[in-house]
Amino acid sequence: MTEWWNDLVAKFVLDFVEKERWRYITNGVVVTLQVTAASLLMGLVIGILVAIVRTSHDQIGKKNLHGFSGFLIRVLNAICSIYLTVIRGTPMMVQLMIMYFVILASSTNKFLVAFLSFGINSGAYIAEIMRSGIMSIDKGQMEAGRSLGLGYAKTMQKIIMPQAIKNVLPALVNEMITLLKETSICGTIGLNELTRGGDIIRGVTYDAMLPLLVVAAIYLAIVMFFTWIMGLLERRLRESDIR
Amino acid sequence: MISVRNLCKDFGAHKVLRGINYEIGQGEKIVIIGPSGSGKSTFLRCLNLLETPTSGQIFFEGTEITGKGVDINKIRQQMGMVFQHFNLFPHLSIMDNLILAPVELKLMTKEEAKEEALRLLDIVGLREKADSYPGQLSGGQKQRIAIVRSLALKPKMMLFDEPTSALDPEMVGEVLEVMKNLAEDGMTMAVVTHEMGFAKEVGTKVLFMDEGVILEEGTPEEIFGDPKQDRTKEFLSKVLI
Ligand SMILES: Nc1ncnc2c1ncn2[C@@H]1O[C@H](COP(=O)(O)OP(=O)(O)OP(=O)(O)O)[C@@H](O)[C@H]1O
Ligand SMILES: [Mg+2]
Repeated sequence: MTEWWNDLVAKFVLDFVEKERWRYITNGVVVTLQVTAASLLMGLVIGILVAIVRTSHDQIGKKNLHGFSGFLIRVLNAICSIYLTVIRGTPMMVQLMIMYFVILASSTNKFLVAFLSFGINSGAYIAEIMRSGIMSIDKGQMEAGRSLGLGYAKTMQKIIMPQAIKNVLPALVNEMITLLKETSICGTIGLNELTRGGDIIRGVTYDAMLPLLVVAAIYLAIVMFFTWIMGLLERRLRESDIR
Repeated sequence: MISVRNLCKDFGAHKVLRGINYEIGQGEKIVIIGPSGSGKSTFLRCLNLLETPTSGQIFFEGTEITGKGVDINKIRQQMGMVFQHFNLFPHLSIMDNLILAPVELKLMTKEEAKEEALRLLDIVGLREKADSYPGQLSGGQKQRIAIVRSLALKPKMMLFDEPTSALDPEMVGEVLEVMKNLAEDGMTMAVVTHEMGFAKEVGTKVLFMDEGVILEEGTPEEIFGDPKQDRTKEFLSKVLI
């Protein structure tokens, strides 16, 4: 028993204490969180825009889409459809490698590659979340806004989107959790995020168990933290619905 | 004030409005009655172009609003609309519901809009609800708020689509009361309703719609006292029990 314990302590010292190897883990956590946050922000911007293009195209209806603005909406809608199909129809890993080896092959900034890939990827999923959020709003809300003389864009901005975003907040937190876990593949392009941090330690010390367990525990802790936040959010939202 | 010429509206193959001609003069109170599905709501919604007419013309104060290049948002500011299901903005306080449009449309400063909102809330006796949210109000209170939300833009005309149909019976009176006061103040109104008492008391004209046309029109006395068309008689005998 003591022998086993001493062995474990020795491994722990070797893995994390010696030569300050714990820094691989802490630096990795920071990079992971940065990539997640930056991608989420980009995904939100893309997602909201795409969702608005798609819903306005559907709402306006085919026969009312004439003139230049009608043409523009159709083109934008076609672009958005292709974007959604391609991004959701190919693996994240392949998208990341295409970005790294093909599109941004000349760039050495791995953070940029990861952030763009994940931002573009999560944008597609957030677009569908936002679209369901917009469609969940009663069409009487748009009619009320328009009948007060507000334009389509103003009504979207002031009346529809605030309610839609509120409705999908839990789904957005979920998307963020998925995103956080998916960034673990960034090691393949050599970005020193959390998973790669653990992997580097394994490569040096030849101990696989402790670094991987620690890495897993950290992901789990972060996810549980956000799940807890989501629980709070959902309760707040339920209360405000009654109000 | 409003003039409708040969208005038609199709939904796909379904001809919902089949040639409506009508003039609404300044200060008139038009009550529209008719069986379900006869096109009453569609007619009303065409007046402020919430539905795009398939053919025909609508003139508002001499401007053809069905023509090209009209700023429909400007027109809608002058034509308030009240819906069956209130359609208040649930994420905004009552005060914010009232000031949103006037402020966003830059018709008033926020302070002016708030002052005007309080004045309107006083009229409907709901000043103390200014900071409440729609979800905290009864149906009758919601509809009174919806009416003053439209009035905040100082419209020249008001459209009502079954404003009391979604209300519990005990709340119908308070909403009709607000509408009667509005009528007495000289507002031009077009009201779709099943409240025949209101139609008799307030209406200057009653239109009976059936299958997408105005089948019969006249003063309340004429329509209720001596209807000419069999369909009108049949409809009235069902609703006036
Ligand atoms: N957006 C739409 N798309 C397709 N059909 C529609 C649409 N709106 C209305 N209709 C159809 O048009 C017909 C007339 O509808 P409308 O709502 O104008 O009737 P109404 O006289 O107001 O009836 P009610 O008393 O039930 O409100 C109905 O048959 C309805 O199904
Ligand atoms: Mg109707």
